[in-house]
Amino acid sequence: MSAAAPVPAGAAGRTYRPGRTAILIGATIMAAVLAAAVLAPVLAPHDPYAQSIATRFRPPSAEHWLGTDGFGRDTFSRILYGLRVTLLTAFASTSLALVAGTALGIMSGYYGGTLDRWISAANDLLMSFPQMVAGIIMVALLGPGVTNLILAIAITAFPAFYRMARSAALALRGRDYIDACRVLGYSDGRIMLRHILPETMDDMIVVGTLWLATAVRTESSLAFIGLGAPPPAATLGGLVREGFDNLLEYPGLAIWPSLMILLIMIGLNLIGDGLRDSNDPRASA
Amino acid sequence: MLLQVEGLRVTYPVSRGWPVPRTSYLRAVDDVSLNVGAGEALGIVGESGCGKSTVARAILRLARADEGRVVFDGVDVTRLPLRALRKLRPRMQMIFQDPAASLSPRMRIGDALAEAIAVHGITHGGDARRLIKETLSDVGLPPEAAARYPHEFSGGQKQRIGIARALVLSPSLIIADEPVSALDVSVQAQILNLLARLQKERGIAFVFISHDLGVVRHFCDRTAVMYLGQVIEQGDTRPLFDRPAHPYTRLLRTVSPVPDPDIPVPPLAVEGEPPSPLDPPPGCRFHPRCPYAAERCRAEIPALRPTMGHLVACHFAEAIAAQEDA
Repeated sequence: MSAAAPVPAGAAGRTYRPGRTAILIGATIMAAVLAAAVLAPVLAPHDPYAQSIATRFRPPSAEHWLGTDGFGRDTFSRILYGLRVTLLTAFASTSLALVAGTALGIMSGYYGGTLDRWISAANDLLMSFPQMVAGIIMVALLGPGVTNLILAIAITAFPAFYRMARSAALALRGRDYIDACRVLGYSDGRIMLRHILPETMDDMIVVGTLWLATAVRTESSLAFIGLGAPPPAATLGGLVREGFDNLLEYPGLAIWPSLMILLIMIGLNLIGDGLRDSNDPRASA
Repeated sequence: MLLQVEGLRVTYPVSRGWPVPRTSYLRAVDDVSLNVGAGEALGIVGESGCGKSTVARAILRLARADEGRVVFDGVDVTRLPLRALRKLRPRMQMIFQDPAASLSPRMRIGDALAEAIAVHGITHGGDARRLIKETLSDVGLPPEAAARYPHEFSGGQKQRIGIARALVLSPSLIIADEPVSALDVSVQAQILNLLARLQKERGIAFVFISHDLGVVRHFCDRTAVMYLGQVIEQGDTRPLFDRPAHPYTRLLRTVSPVPDPDIPVPPLAVEGEPPSPLDPPPGCRFHPRCPYAAERCRAEIPALRPTMGHLVACHFAEAIAAQEDA
């Protein structure tokens, strides 16, 4: 036996962790945004749906922090409530895409053969549409409503997860330790779940964080062209759209929700990039 | 016989050519037959690409046999349904060449061993923990190793872990595919001694694949020499290495270094690479490199036949031996 003492676990991670600052800033932003969404009923100074002819197009004031819209509804309250719908949609659709994409991707890569060819072909078909176009087609096919919106965004996000998981499984399948698992008599399900899935999770989480940002953008874009959650529900994209009608006279109505979207995008991308950097194999022993 | 390999043939499709690729079939293993008795160690030697690893993979059904049978303890492994195959798996285990690559990187050693024990319902709870501890100490690792991850160990230690993982299943046969070629020479001897002890104490049979004749000579009762997917000589290890009958076995023996400074290095008998298995030469596959090749060797494939105490696939084995003795 060699004299080299085993390295204590985690020693390499403690010394230098790239991407740490980015993750910290991103996480702070997202924590604040999430808190605002969760606590919207407490934080919102007004009912986001209460209309009032008397208070149409009010500028920001102590009463209405960000002013009111064309129906006299409080913009700040509507942004808080819009945040809820937008984030829920984004989280639900990304989770759905992550789970389905990872499961099918690992099966595709591990089994190969006919199964892989068919799923990959379907996936290529899906990818041949620009993401926005695919989203529009899906919403048009499925019809309006938040559930269908979630499904539509999940479908547009699916290829990213599928391809990632498939290529990871494909690379792992040829490794000795997967052969070792087969020789040990493990079932295919066990091999995929216990020996391939954990190896892909790091990458999937990074992709997931980045695609969460994309899902927020897709939701907003779909809402902006009128395919989002039906009114009077507030979503960030829907607010931008509503504000757009009076952009020249009352630019704040479109700008405030846009800034909120921007904030979410920055937060999520900082986390995603930070996680990717900290997962860099060159940085870990 | 614990393991009988009969007429095993493994081919891989290879697409070559542009713009219209044509599929040809590479015969990685071409009509190989082997026997291993209980507790016996069979060596398979040959240069890279001769198909020795594919034989191992086909025995364990990691590679699909196109023809032939692999009979393990009376059961034809090649045609066994998957469920039954998984039940049989614990009895035939494998040790890999690269110990680092053969362990799941994110599993503690104890968990990896426990998983194998649990999957086959060997024991549970305290008994399982005791079995893990005993097996680790049997391969020369401290019990604390169970709580550590593979990357915390040296190459030799990792190979010990790989051996322990096979041992917890109490196999009757272990296929060792170049188990020491990735290790330092000093560590090689330790691992070989460990394997030899396990063979003796537990009566485990081994199929030992190596390109290192010295290692095989040390470890194996019988040896098969492979060349381009075929067994060209087979017999008891000592006589086979002391008096090889096939010209290729002679070549292997001359080029493998002898650790004795007083023995002069012999001049290379034959130059060149083995031909591509995609396009094997007609007749004897060794004839392009063989110094004794005659017209008959170019036309007629020599059968594996008993001569001089072992099996040889050479038309002129006796004549060459007589010439050498003279």
